[in-house]
Amino acid sequence: MGKSEEIFKKLRQAVISGETEECAKVTQAAIDAGIDPMKVLTEGMSKAMEVVGEKFENKEYFLPEMLLSAEAMYAGLELLLPLLKADETEVKEKIVLGVVEGDIHDIGKNIVKAMLTSAGYEVIDLGVDVPASEFVKKASEEEVGVIAMSTMMTPTLMSIKDVEEQLAKKGLKGKVKTIIGGGTVTEQWRSRIGSDAFGKDATDAVDKVKLLIEEIKTAVKLMEKKRKERTRKK
Amino acid sequence: MTLREEVERPGQVKIVFFPYGIREWFKKGVSIFDAAKALGIDLSSLCAGKGTCGKCKVKIEEGMKGLNPLTEQELKHITREEIEAGYRLACQAIPTTTVSVYVPERSRIGKQRLQTAGLEVPVKQLNPLVKKYFVELPKPTLLDCRSDEDRLLTTLNEKHGTAINLDLDFEVGIDLASSLRDAEWAVTAVNWKNRIIEIEPENTSDRCFGFAVDIGTTKLAGFLMDLNTGKVATVAARMNPQIPLGEEVMSRITHQMLEGQKGVKELQTAVVSGINEMIEECCKKANVKTNEIYELCFVGNTAMQLCFLGIYGRYVAFAPYPPVLRRGVNIRASRIGLSSHPRANAYFAPIIGGFVGADNVAVILATRMLESDEICMALDIGTNTEIDLGNKDLVLVDSCASGPAFEGMQIKHGMRAATGAIERVSIDPETLEVNIRTIEDKPPVGLCGSALVDVPAELLKAGLIDLTGKFVAEKAKETNRLRKGPKGIWEFVLVPQPETGTDTDIIITQGDIRELQKAKAAMRTGAEILMKRLGEERKEAITEDDISKLFMAGAFGNYIDPENARTIGMYPELPLDKVEFVGNIAGTGARLCLISKEEREYAEKIATTAKYHELAADKDFHKEYIDALYLPHRNLDRYPDTVNLLKRLGRIK
Repeated sequence: MGKSEEIFKKLRQAVISGETEECAKVTQAAIDAGIDPMKVLTEGMSKAMEVVGEKFENKEYFLPEMLLSAEAMYAGLELLLPLLKADETEVKEKIVLGVVEGDIHDIGKNIVKAMLTSAGYEVIDLGVDVPASEFVKKASEEEVGVIAMSTMMTPTLMSIKDVEEQLAKKGLKGKVKTIIGGGTVTEQWRSRIGSDAFGKDATDAVDKVKLLIEEIKTAVKLMEKKRKERTRKK
Repeated sequence: MTLREEVERPGQVKIVFFPYGIREWFKKGVSIFDAAKALGIDLSSLCAGKGTCGKCKVKIEEGMKGLNPLTEQELKHITREEIEAGYRLACQAIPTTTVSVYVPERSRIGKQRLQTAGLEVPVKQLNPLVKKYFVELPKPTLLDCRSDEDRLLTTLNEKHGTAINLDLDFEVGIDLASSLRDAEWAVTAVNWKNRIIEIEPENTSDRCFGFAVDIGTTKLAGFLMDLNTGKVATVAARMNPQIPLGEEVMSRITHQMLEGQKGVKELQTAVVSGINEMIEECCKKANVKTNEIYELCFVGNTAMQLCFLGIYGRYVAFAPYPPVLRRGVNIRASRIGLSSHPRANAYFAPIIGGFVGADNVAVILATRMLESDEICMALDIGTNTEIDLGNKDLVLVDSCASGPAFEGMQIKHGMRAATGAIERVSIDPETLEVNIRTIEDKPPVGLCGSALVDVPAELLKAGLIDLTGKFVAEKAKETNRLRKGPKGIWEFVLVPQPETGTDTDIIITQGDIRELQKAKAAMRTGAEILMKRLGEERKEAITEDDISKLFMAGAFGNYIDPENARTIGMYPELPLDKVEFVGNIAGTGARLCLISKEEREYAEKIATTAKYHELAADKDFHKEYIDALYLPHRNLDRYPDTVNLLKRLGRIK
């Protein structure tokens, strides 16, 4: 126990200070020592990225530091993923992520991706300049719970609206939740456009995604309960 | 649009002041006047807020519903028209919800410093498109019963060699008979290109005027030009009245998208009203009537072109950002309500691409870089910064969203360059004492752009921030100016409250430094990518040594300390003597296009020759941007002089 805690600590340090090679090395050591890969992810990567997120929030960390940490995290994650996939005990929540149509700025999106990945979500990254239909299509194909969209510019906020409208048309609104963020996105915009959540930064985005997924789960449970009641009545 | 704006705070209201872009939360019950005073905003008053002098008129742009009803005092001072337009007395208006307040020019005491002067460039040929020809016509007789039109055209041809088949504007034709006879056949024909657009009585050929305008996203600069001499008669400047409809170009296009045709019209009306104010001011100063202006020439970025011409700009805002009109546009000035002769021509110079407009064509025109043997770089700094690099063989252009940080926006105590703004900052690297200079030596109320370049540079030299821009916490032991703010975020006190013109300390926060880093990195990335791509085009790498000159343009460019700008890595490390400040050179370009047909043709040529490079789509953009976020740069080898300086100060080993 003491040994794994020591490894986790080293791992966290490597991620926080953005040391890619060190992170890969320590992750490998953890695997070799037979530590549960899921634990390595949660105790190492996730906790480290939480610290990184906090540092970013209080402006101590900036984009370069954030990206270095993300890079380090991915280096370790790459080693863990094959082991995690074999372990199907826990079904991971999927999230579709992308920069909306008309915009190609993706630094922020990549940071959110790293934070979500480290928090244990499976992130399907659609890249930049993603048409509304692509978000909706991917979301229903992959049965994801949350669509996360970002934009740096103001006019392209309208592209988010397109996604919301298409979701509504397909009757997916409510089943699929949306979260938006990026340079020009504000809470006012969120309520104007009708998205479900607004992430003011990457840490906030992770917190909000958690809430959205909770909401979906509760809704699903409620629906199942109602269905059961209905069938009982019949 | 600002970043991550808070919507609500219990018991408080948010007040936003334009054109300063200053926003702050206040306890409910505060009057707009007291809020302005607390922020050191320049708002005039003789009665100190009692509602008796009527000097503190402000325009409520948003949030009118949340204000108390008009008071008796206000009804005495505000006209019905003003009430309809949303005017209130700041001292009487008490907001309960968020309000946006515009402080009109006349309600300000101090002066916004608006750079209008630009490099004077010798014009290739003084040859305005407007020309005046005085002629005395032979009266009609039974032996000479030519039409009035033919009489005029032939005499013009004989006396001045004008084309015999000049067009005669139909509106001139309607009144031609009386114009000629009332003037007893001694008239001055006003020609624009090959068209007679007015007949003036007597000889007025010594008075020939035009008006050139640089439509900036935040600032307008206007020049009344004597077309006979090519010289500037008078100058005026204004904040762009579109600001309340959107602080930067993207927000303005969004305004068009949200409001549709109404929004398109609002933006156009706003900018035209600002231009008209400048025209009237300039004319008054020069004793010229506005209808003596026969041509107007405009430059501005692509969004400004769209807004000015009343064109819906949605598509230019979405990747791949295609503009609508590219060539120069000629329209009748009266059609868009410009104060000038009703048949004056308004010319908007050509643009290059979605994010590179006529203002940048003007920069290339006026710097003559497309004629230079040596490679030159031009940096036109603004909310959007355009960068040009090249010589007579090829000029590449890109544009970056440097953002309004250096204009004081999104910076806690940032402000525009107005009375009381701190414009210079130095920090003693030993004692960490701060020295400041303010505009007009008034008590400091905020930081303007030039100081916002000084601050990170001085903090870096003093070892208060490191190369990543982070405050060095240990330094808090040496000075109590460095402290943790309310949310645990580090901040540095530049001026403690007793010495400020406001009721708080003037500080720079870690978040402010981050905003400035982003802004400077955007510019630096734009320069770096152009160096790379030009190198590829020329098949030889372009280094700092190959750049013979850096033209620093833009209103704020003139006031910044070039060394400090270099220390933070705003531009590649060039010897300081290669940096030339050229001021509002876009305005120079507008003037050249106005006074010379050849220059105007050359501008049209530039717009097709200069090659636009889309920065955000460049494969190296991401990496270069991240590298450029460091102070001065992640790759220190590119900044040997700055590294030496920092070494001498013991900041790096």
